[in-house]
Amino acid sequence: MIRYLIKNNFKLMLRNTWGVVIMLLGPILVIVVLSSAFEELMKSYEGVDTFTVGYRLENGSSMYDDMDVLKEAGDETGIIFREYPEGEPQDIIVNNELAGFVEFTREEYVVYKSADYEIEGITLEYFLSRVMSGGLNAALMKINPNTETDVELPVKKLEFMPAVNAVDYYGIIYIVYFCWCGMICATGVLSNEKKYGIEQKFRVSALSDFQMYLSRFVPIVLTVAAGMGAATGITVLLYDIHWGSPLLSAVIVFMMIVAGTALGMMVYNISDNLVITIIVLFTVVWFMGFFGGSFETYMFSTMPDITKQLSPIYHGNRALVELSCMGESKYVSSAVLYSLAVTIVCSGIAVLAGSIRKRGKA
Amino acid sequence: MEEIILKTTGLIKKYNNKAVVDNLNIEIRRGEIFGLLGPNGAGKSTTMNMICSLVRPTAGSIELLGKNPWKQKKEVIHKIGYIPQELAIHGKLKAWENVELFTSLYGIKGAKLKKSVEESLEYVGLLERKQEFAKNFSGGMKRRLNIACAIGHHPELLIFDEPTVGIDPQSRNFILDKIKESNRKGATVIYTSHYMEEVEAVCTRIAIMDNGKIIACGTSGELKKLVSKGTEDTTLEEVFLTLTGKKLRDYAE
Repeated sequence: MIRYLIKNNFKLMLRNTWGVVIMLLGPILVIVVLSSAFEELMKSYEGVDTFTVGYRLENGSSMYDDMDVLKEAGDETGIIFREYPEGEPQDIIVNNELAGFVEFTREEYVVYKSADYEIEGITLEYFLSRVMSGGLNAALMKINPNTETDVELPVKKLEFMPAVNAVDYYGIIYIVYFCWCGMICATGVLSNEKKYGIEQKFRVSALSDFQMYLSRFVPIVLTVAAGMGAATGITVLLYDIHWGSPLLSAVIVFMMIVAGTALGMMVYNISDNLVITIIVLFTVVWFMGFFGGSFETYMFSTMPDITKQLSPIYHGNRALVELSCMGESKYVSSAVLYSLAVTIVCSGIAVLAGSIRKRGKA
Repeated sequence: MEEIILKTTGLIKKYNNKAVVDNLNIEIRRGEIFGLLGPNGAGKSTTMNMICSLVRPTAGSIELLGKNPWKQKKEVIHKIGYIPQELAIHGKLKAWENVELFTSLYGIKGAKLKKSVEESLEYVGLLERKQEFAKNFSGGMKRRLNIACAIGHHPELLIFDEPTVGIDPQSRNFILDKIKESNRKGATVIYTSHYMEEVEAVCTRIAIMDNGKIIACGTSGELKKLVSKGTEDTTLEEVFLTLTGKKLRDYAE
């Protein structure tokens, strides 16, 4: 029985012109405004002038044969690699005014950074990460199309900031942000249900509390997914926003939509009031966005780590931005699992609250 | 003896310690059109809501088709067709989509659902307009669509809560005819209205309710005999006003 209810609720949400317009134009406008406003500011994260770093190759390192090619790639990027076979890395950095130092051991590489060259250190980490995680071939091919290499060095995962431009950054994080505001699509349907006693009629039927929940939850998810899909497509076409790993990115965005809808439904079922729901939901999402990097020029810059990690938006933002500029991210699983946890917990509370509310009304 | 389709025994509903429905005992037999009359605040809607398992009684019992609608809701709920006073339809759905939505709530699907939707729309005279959005309908058409949404699952008991509010005489006449037709086809009907002439024209038995209690119950003729005048030209309205008084009622139900 529920599929007809889902189908018709989906139609109602798509026919709610304002809801669709907000979900479609909202992210597009915000992306355009913020990416152009912060374009210059974010350039500081994109790259720096040429700088010098030290390195040391341990005997037997798999980079031994490819170091010349790596140095050549570094030159192209503006990083000059200079060998220092002896000495403590920290001392070498200080004594030679280097931006950093890289130790290539047999199985990994270790990056030492200078506090005086923060941006250079980030750039070095980014460069090495790109090169080591499968990008070496591409880098080498760019320098010398005839070069062939099969370098596969196990990569030690490093905490570093990926370099990303303003358009890609805002083009991604505001899709994530709006995923959490999906309840806006349901305002027309829910206010109608309340205003015209439709909700009451549902209660004179064989619908269970869980079916009632699903009949709203599923169409909201579908509508927001359609809206975000369209908004993403438009921004990609208009502004050439780069999403890394399209399938993985789509999964993360979808999970964010599901979690955002569950959160909204939970607030609605508890409050039983659409206005309160929108106010509370938008406030909660604003705080999650605040801690998750949605309102900063760069998401990892000022917030303490613990508060960032608490925000599911942070995990989504970071995973998607890293996928975009690095092609991989260790935040993918946490973004998906965090969203899943939010979905399960909020859905459980929403169904329970709906049931209690129904009994309370009776 | 005809089967009792609905029986309430000592039914009480209290809000803030005040009895809105007070020791209500009614029996409705299969095939009846049972009218429930009463001034505002008499307890009609609360009674309907308790029958439809929307409001839980404070005390007493309800037996619907031999079952307790609160404890055995799934077994009886699909036998009820509830037509609320509000136009419980979605303006942004087409007529057939509205009927499909509400009929499907009772587990009807596929070809059977499609047939039910067509039949319901035809029954209320809206089949030709099935592709139109409900928001574009007149008040009377919306009322008819409201009915179509409640009959698609062929309920045994139809509960009409003031179904003719705010519509033109033609639509009202149409709806009353359809109520009688449903009854002829076997449905038992509970009907509440403020329009005395409607109740008199449609109902086989009428109960007058005030302050949560049934103060009189019987056929139109039997009720008329209750007032002293009791002549043939006595109207149901006169009976109603005699029994419930002329004082204005400003309750909110």
